[in-house]
Amino acid sequence: MKVNLEYLETKLESLDGDELKIKDNINSLFHHCVQALTEEHQIKVVNALQTLCALFRGVHQKNKSASGFDIINMLMGFDKAELRMKDLMESMDSLLCGDGSESLKALCLKLLLCLVTVTDNISQNTILEYVMINSIFEAILQILSDVSSRGQHGYDAVVLLALLVNYRKYESVNPYIVKLSIVDDEPTLDGMGMVVGQALTEYNRQYKGKEEDNQGGFFSTLTSMVGSMFIADAEEKLSVQTNEAILLALYEAVHLNRNFITVLAQSHPEIDIPTTPTTPVPTTPTTPLGTTPPSTDMMNSSELPLDPNLQTSNLLITFLKYSSIVMQDTKDEHRLNSARLCLIILTCIAEDQYADAFLHDDNMNFRVNLHRMPMRHRKKAAEKNVPSRPLVCAVLDLMVEFIVTHMMKDFPMDLYMRCVQVIHKLICYQKKCRIRLHYTWRELWSALINLLKFLLSNETVLLAKHNIFHLALLVVNLFNMFITYGDTFLPTSNSYDELYYEIVRMHQVFDNLYCMVLRVSTNAGQWKEPASKVTHSLVNVRAIVNHFNPKIESYAAVNHISQLSEDQVLEVVRSNYDTLTLKLQDGLDQFERYSEQPKEAAFFKELVRSISLNVRKNVSLNTLSQDVLLKEFSTIS
Amino acid sequence: MGDTEPELHASQTEEVEQQSPSTTSSVSISSSPSLSLPSSPSSGLYPHQPTSLTPSPTESDSPAAPSTALDVISEGLSEVTLVIDPEVAKKACQEVLQKVKLLKGDSEGSGGFDGGSTMDHTLANGTVHTSATAVGSGEIINARKIHEEEDSEALTPGSVKSARRRQRHNPSKQSWLLRLFESKLFDVSMAISYLHNSKEPGVQAYIGNRLFSFRHEEVDFYLPQLLNMYIHMDEDVGDAIKPYVVHRCRQSISFSLQCAWLLGAYSSDMHISTQRHSRGTKLRKLIFSDELKPAGGRARQPLTLTPFCPQTATAPALHGHGLGGEHGLSPSKRTHQRSKSDATVSISLSSNLKRTASNPKVESSQDEDLSSSSENLECECHACKIGTPVRLTPQREFIKSLMGIGKRLATLPTKEQKTQRLISELSLLNHKLPARVWLPTAAFDHHVVRVPHTQAVVLNSKDKAPYLIYVEVLECEDFETSSVPVRISETRIRSTRSVENLPDCGITADQRAGSFSTVPNYDEDNEAWSVDDIGELQVEHPELHTNSCDNISQFSVDSITSLDSKEPIFIAAGDIRRRLSEQLAHPPTTFRRDPEDPSAVALKEPWQEKVQRIREGSPYGHIPTWRLLSVIVKCGDDLRQELLASQVLQQLQIIWEQERVPIWIKPYKILVISSDSGMIEPIVNAVSIHQVKKQSQMPLLDYFLQEHGSYTTEAFLTAQRNFVQSCAGYCLICYLLQVKDRHNGNILLDADGHIIHIDFGFILSSSPRNLGFETSAFKLTSEFVDVMGGLGGDMFNYYKMLMLQGLIAARKHMDKVIQIVEIMQQGSQLPCFHGSSTIRSLKERFHMSLTEEQLQVLVEQMVDGSMRSLTTKLYDGFQYLTNGIM
Repeated sequence: MKVNLEYLETKLESLDGDELKIKDNINSLFHHCVQALTEEHQIKVVNALQTLCALFRGVHQKNKSASGFDIINMLMGFDKAELRMKDLMESMDSLLCGDGSESLKALCLKLLLCLVTVTDNISQNTILEYVMINSIFEAILQILSDVSSRGQHGYDAVVLLALLVNYRKYESVNPYIVKLSIVDDEPTLDGMGMVVGQALTEYNRQYKGKEEDNQGGFFSTLTSMVGSMFIADAEEKLSVQTNEAILLALYEAVHLNRNFITVLAQSHPEIDIPTTPTTPVPTTPTTPLGTTPPSTDMMNSSELPLDPNLQTSNLLITFLKYSSIVMQDTKDEHRLNSARLCLIILTCIAEDQYADAFLHDDNMNFRVNLHRMPMRHRKKAAEKNVPSRPLVCAVLDLMVEFIVTHMMKDFPMDLYMRCVQVIHKLICYQKKCRIRLHYTWRELWSALINLLKFLLSNETVLLAKHNIFHLALLVVNLFNMFITYGDTFLPTSNSYDELYYEIVRMHQVFDNLYCMVLRVSTNAGQWKEPASKVTHSLVNVRAIVNHFNPKIESYAAVNHISQLSEDQVLEVVRSNYDTLTLKLQDGLDQFERYSEQPKEAAFFKELVRSISLNVRKNVSLNTLSQDVLLKEFSTIS
Repeated sequence: MGDTEPELHASQTEEVEQQSPSTTSSVSISSSPSLSLPSSPSSGLYPHQPTSLTPSPTESDSPAAPSTALDVISEGLSEVTLVIDPEVAKKACQEVLQKVKLLKGDSEGSGGFDGGSTMDHTLANGTVHTSATAVGSGEIINARKIHEEEDSEALTPGSVKSARRRQRHNPSKQSWLLRLFESKLFDVSMAISYLHNSKEPGVQAYIGNRLFSFRHEEVDFYLPQLLNMYIHMDEDVGDAIKPYVVHRCRQSISFSLQCAWLLGAYSSDMHISTQRHSRGTKLRKLIFSDELKPAGGRARQPLTLTPFCPQTATAPALHGHGLGGEHGLSPSKRTHQRSKSDATVSISLSSNLKRTASNPKVESSQDEDLSSSSENLECECHACKIGTPVRLTPQREFIKSLMGIGKRLATLPTKEQKTQRLISELSLLNHKLPARVWLPTAAFDHHVVRVPHTQAVVLNSKDKAPYLIYVEVLECEDFETSSVPVRISETRIRSTRSVENLPDCGITADQRAGSFSTVPNYDEDNEAWSVDDIGELQVEHPELHTNSCDNISQFSVDSITSLDSKEPIFIAAGDIRRRLSEQLAHPPTTFRRDPEDPSAVALKEPWQEKVQRIREGSPYGHIPTWRLLSVIVKCGDDLRQELLASQVLQQLQIIWEQERVPIWIKPYKILVISSDSGMIEPIVNAVSIHQVKKQSQMPLLDYFLQEHGSYTTEAFLTAQRNFVQSCAGYCLICYLLQVKDRHNGNILLDADGHIIHIDFGFILSSSPRNLGFETSAFKLTSEFVDVMGGLGGDMFNYYKMLMLQGLIAARKHMDKVIQIVEIMQQGSQLPCFHGSSTIRSLKERFHMSLTEEQLQVLVEQMVDGSMRSLTTKLYDGFQYLTNGIM
């Protein structure tokens, strides 16, 4: 018999307060459903799963205000709750791990997603306490480690895992956090990485398609023609929307599991091996259960594989490209959150020794085509010829790109802080390991100076909302790193000269900054302390400016040149080093290590809430199409 | 051997009687009371022959018995080690020799004993005519006796033996050939030679048995020759060789694989229809079917194994494995259950795999399951752990995955993409390691534990994709029996690396001890990795700079330049700038990174430094038995010629060493896997002259001066001498083997100044594109002469002198060189054997007829000719235009 889900759900919602009467009915229904899960007849199992889904939803919908315990009572009855949930989780576990129908597994995951997202705030979902006790972690891992099941359910599994990890994250010991942090099985971690990678790749691809559409031209019309054959209208809309759930999963994996770091660098050559004939295309047309998984078959049929020009990619590259897209536009809340999460992930990566090692590995060179915001004063499409470089260059490029493109009224202070910190962490690593990266540092220097300039010119507006001194301090200290430790990580001696050149050239910015911080620090007020720190940090930059400026002027006077060329200035710089004394500053290469709590807790709570809402919406969206699934089973049996 | 002889015969008889009545007749003769028969040696041999007609059926039986046994083997139904009874063979052999004696007369027998080559002809001529003659029974007894003697007197000097024998036998009728065979002088080289030249089954069979008495390494050198004879020569030679090969296969996995690969490679020139049913293919299948397992405790005593015992011995083994079709199925099932890995590219491919595994016939087509192979490898690792080791599979899969990578790389257009792809593929391969796999090019037993994938480089090649990988291995006693090392996670390195990587900028041991990061956590506990590396980074920094800055652990940047009472420390900007330029001013010992030539940098790095660096970065680096190996994987290239050249080089090296000619050459190991794939042992600390010139942009002499020091320094002189000695060697080789395609990309220069020629793709009768370039005897450019100190210099004269000595020495042992080449010509379609005059021309180049004075003139002429030769220059120009090789 078929379940009329809509009816069940709405009926439950519409029931009025006569709880006691219904409670018994619901309890027994729940009980029967749980029992039915162990049945051999698959239709019964399907029906049971769907009914349970409807029950969870409906009861929550009905009792929005009620406490978690009331809901449990309503669903299963207090006395039996533990037993029922244990049975439920066990049968789910065996369904997920067993050899049964793929559609059943999908439905199981859907039910779990449904259960996890019934409340807006996942931590208030008391039923999850039972999911904590009866862990399905192993089942999720198994799905991820197996190639075929990963292809079909990987997305849902990863999202589910990300959500479960966030259940009462800060309040109690979450077994999923503990377990996730110690996973060291490479195929599993790799599987997880692949699911995330595929989702991000899919996003990048869609974005690129859109971008090309907007640009018009013959090629784009061609791709849109081709594209429209595969991309459904619904997904067209979604392509703009960022995928925070998958990003959260990536974050949790990077943050919690040290072994996952290796996965970041793990390339996946098989992505560009034609996989079309391999994935057993499920006979059910309802593959995209749950949220909006990037359906693999779509990727297969499109132009992705078989392209000899396709670069071997890895998760990190995909992530960097994704970040470059997301960071372009931080105006709406979702994208701002996504950009923030991207930067947090980058922070975690930059702090990890192993990740740094492969970021800087000279033997692992890649071309990373980051997306750049089209800007009026910049030429576009000159980026096709990115040289193949160590990955850290791409990270630095991304940071520079962000710095340059976000100096706006609605200043994303928080993102800037994170961005500068990422750079700082990378430079600390280079200094420590004496890695001389062949990077055009000049771009970074001028970006940072421009940032200082922007802070100065918008001082009053910005000060109303942000502590700009903190950011200024970080930026000045980056310069201090270059000035005092440049010998340990700069690629050439010329680059050290160039650093001085750049500082001297832009000395006005530093002069103005000094005046400003001096002014603020002499006034009593809330900014006195932070401003005075910036004053002190400027000591070396000012020494340089004060040392070389007169020298340059006298050189110009002696040689009767009004405007010195760059080479001439560099010459002056080179010949006057010895008379310059710098002050060694402490702790330049020390940084605050990232910790989620307490600073980021609020952000993640909000993020998880929004993800929950989104997932719930998408799960319900697909509920309607369950008829098809039923049909499949009815035709089989 | 002597000790076991009686015992084995007893057992033989027993089993014969028990199990196979059909062959009883043949075996019963050898196990007849003859053992204890005090036969009279004085009884003339000849008179007996016509009279003793009774045993003649025995004689006809004796070849029959082995052949039936052979059939059994080739069908793979049971196990056979010893197919030919040594006695029978010996007997037959001796009979023939006697015949020869009688026909040719004493005069011929007594003359020209030492040469071997003359004997050769005698034998060949004699045997052809007399092979069919019947034999006397006295012969058997005699052979028996001699054999017994030889066995028991294995340690006594040959002279005593022969003296005694002379007492017993009529000296005039003594078999000279047999005496040669049994003498100490008789070595593998001669054995191979007789095996090849003799048309007499008896002699062949005897030598087949004699192979058992040589050291393994000695025979291994001639393995390609042996197998090529097995494949391409007539039945009798094959029958003579097979027992030995089967016996060795049973003993060693690596020998089995090597045989199978070589058999495949050398069978490939046959016509496809004959190939399928050829002996070579059958034996290869047999080896791959993994039925040549060591048969219990008897494996050590090959001679005790009769054709019959396997039935009992292997019965349990077969049960364990399943029979026939099932045989392959069980591993495939396991594969599917354990296919957790991502290496499975596709499901359809892995179902392919299933088919492959269950159907032994598909095994010969290697390409089928290339992509899923690495997965299989994993499965086998598991299988090993479970305790049902599938002997050959892990290694085969390992090799297959390496080849698969090469195949896929070839489809990518740019070097950069190839490199990236290579690195990523290898990182996946890493997931399956450690496993019971090894590099066949290595000299010691080991297990591969990790492939440091980021170190791998794609080599310069236009359309193929050869690549060089470094492989971390753990040395072990015996890779077949030692347990496979446990996997250590990649991330385990971190704690150790972060400490080790600290730059030693003035940090003393005390200072380091002061910081609380104690020296590397080599202990096995899993907590090691949880050491917080960034924590170290933060805490250690103040320690590093105790001299210059205040040692306060500040964990936040906020506290810098706080207004406390500490007095500030000043540093001079000039110092920073100076330090920077000083650190960068190091002489260019490394090459620049060039995306189009990624191998240059990798090869230039001194091997020891590379080993050290990779060891530090490896999670297995702390294990004492850790070693680093490297190997070039070639896919799409036929390495059979390389192997041939390598053998000739080895032989020449031995000859020159023996004759004390201080010529230096470096043969490198070649592993032929099929007719279009293989592996090469890279030469460490060497880069091609092309790379040297391109990177240094200076003449070779200047490069020598830069690398080794000025003209008068010890280092330079040593390097120069090395250069001359190697140059002389390779010039000779180039001449003798007619090595062509000698552009600077194919000539390496090692760190000691030796030159090393690589790539022997064009030798003997083949030359690239037949453009008629390179007509000179060898490549001798003016740059080379400059390094040698110019024309007329001492070193240049030394060079010519070495050439002359080398040529004289090589001439003396010409046969050993010719033989290697000649045997390989059999049935070969290799371009180096193109035409009919290959061997004749090769022989001519040894100039047997010239006097030493004439030879000297010849060397002078060749040197002059090569120097004046415009064609060398032209060829370099041609290479530059077509391949960009300088």
